[in-house]
Amino acid sequence: MNRTGLLYDERYLRHRTGEGHPEVPDRLQAILKGLEDGNLLPRLTRVEARPADQRRIETVHDVAHIRRFEEACLMGKSELDHPDNQICYETFETALLAVGGILEAARLVLEGRLDNAFCAVRPPGHHAEVDRALGFCFFNNVAVTARFIQQEWGLKRVGIIDFDVHHGNGTQHIFERDHTVFYYSIHEHPTFAYPGTGREFERGLETGYGYTLNSPVLPGYGDLEYRDAIQRDLIPAFDRFQPEIILVSAGFDAHQDDDMSNINLSTAGYSWIMEQIMALAERHARGRVISILEGGYCLERLPELARNHVGILLGNHEIMK
Amino acid sequence: MFIQRSMTRKVITIHPEAGVIEARDLLQQHKIHSLPVVGLEGTLIGIVTDRDVRSALPATILSEAELGQLKERVAQLKVKDIMTTQVVTLSPNNTLEDALLLMQQIHVGALPVIDRDRKILGIIAFRDILRGFAEVLGIDEPGTLLCILADDRQGQMKRIVDAITEEKIRFGSVLVARGWEKGKRAFFPYLFTHNIVGIKKKLEGLGFTLINPIEMYLEPLPPA
Ligand SMILES: [Zn+2]
Repeated sequence: MNRTGLLYDERYLRHRTGEGHPEVPDRLQAILKGLEDGNLLPRLTRVEARPADQRRIETVHDVAHIRRFEEACLMGKSELDHPDNQICYETFETALLAVGGILEAARLVLEGRLDNAFCAVRPPGHHAEVDRALGFCFFNNVAVTARFIQQEWGLKRVGIIDFDVHHGNGTQHIFERDHTVFYYSIHEHPTFAYPGTGREFERGLETGYGYTLNSPVLPGYGDLEYRDAIQRDLIPAFDRFQPEIILVSAGFDAHQDDDMSNINLSTAGYSWIMEQIMALAERHARGRVISILEGGYCLERLPELARNHVGILLGNHEIMK
Repeated sequence: MFIQRSMTRKVITIHPEAGVIEARDLLQQHKIHSLPVVGLEGTLIGIVTDRDVRSALPATILSEAELGQLKERVAQLKVKDIMTTQVVTLSPNNTLEDALLLMQQIHVGALPVIDRDRKILGIIAFRDILRGFAEVLGIDEPGTLLCILADDRQGQMKRIVDAITEEKIRFGSVLVARGWEKGKRAFFPYLFTHNIVGIKKKLEGLGFTLINPIEMYLEPLPPA
């Protein structure tokens, strides 16, 4: 069994998005309930959340964006940059706590104290751009983590796998000129789904060309199409790239019961994807995986999806059944 | 959608007395395919394309002796000798649709835009039109496409747009497809938002059906 870390903190519930918004605190509680009911909590090592040093955020985001975000929260504004990005007084602090907690999980994995970790954080991150909030995201959690791992731990090749049903425009844009961070995303086709980027011909820019890879999936498709795309696109690309660690943008909104997409992944389909990621990590990254929560809005399905996801991180395949 | 918004205003032009070699160099340098020929007062008097220039210049397969003779003649050759004077033009009040249909009809890749005094205001190329339509669709901004099936009767579009507006969602465009099935129409609003749950519920509450667009365009999906 793997030594798997769990990052979760009650304070992640403090970011409130108001009525009619799907990115609610209940999501995390549903995830925790799933882990509890699956009796996984005793097997997990709790990772302590702590606020990130702002300089860490600045490795990705403009100082002006960080300032604007902080001021908007403290001044009691209800949104940042777009009505999608609802904020409250505690949102800035919560976002710092999310990044800080993930960096702590990364540290434990890189020190060899943990094999891998699941970070159940809010707010999510993969839509956040260098200079603006977008699609419920304020800081790009996974991007800050990748930079941290490279700058503080000297790893050369970081692989990011984003299976949220929406394209991680922010993460792609941050690393599209960087050949040391490979960004792979599988998502609903951008003609139909937010945010409208992530077409297969977006392959990176300049020296980063070939280190961005997108597998858009048409609405209505599910397990079979995902299986094909992952075998055709992700696995050969990562076998060539040989990432020293894999970061996962774990979004559970491609599930067939999730209202936020038209993709029909089953619960078992999600497990299959995670098993492929674990196998890639075993082959290239000494099993090091840091999985970071992005989307996933079906409160009825999140418990089982999280339970299976973490069960696979633990290396215990029986849990899935 | 008027072409004024999409046309290039800094037009690379050439004088009728300029040499053909100069025209060739300008075309290459700016990676364009046509040069409006403009007289002293800035009025349009013709157009010269890369094809005109190519057929005026000697081919590289000629022998050196032949080339030597030709080179002298080419050096004398002026833009006014090879330009087309019957130029098809647009006015700033033409629309993107006009430009698109006209270009398809006369098989050219760019059209000069002139005022009443034939002074050149801009040029619109096929790529400008594409960019213009991308803007019109709104796909240069993050958003989500909804696919809504409605009865084919008056006022349905308004009900959809009203519902979207009530939810305070901005949108880039609404495409409409007829002939979906008898008595139905499909609407495709492109919404500038990630938060579509509320609006979807609202539309369903109003009696609309949200559909998967694939069903419309492709053969039935293989069983999963
Ligand atoms: Zn998502």
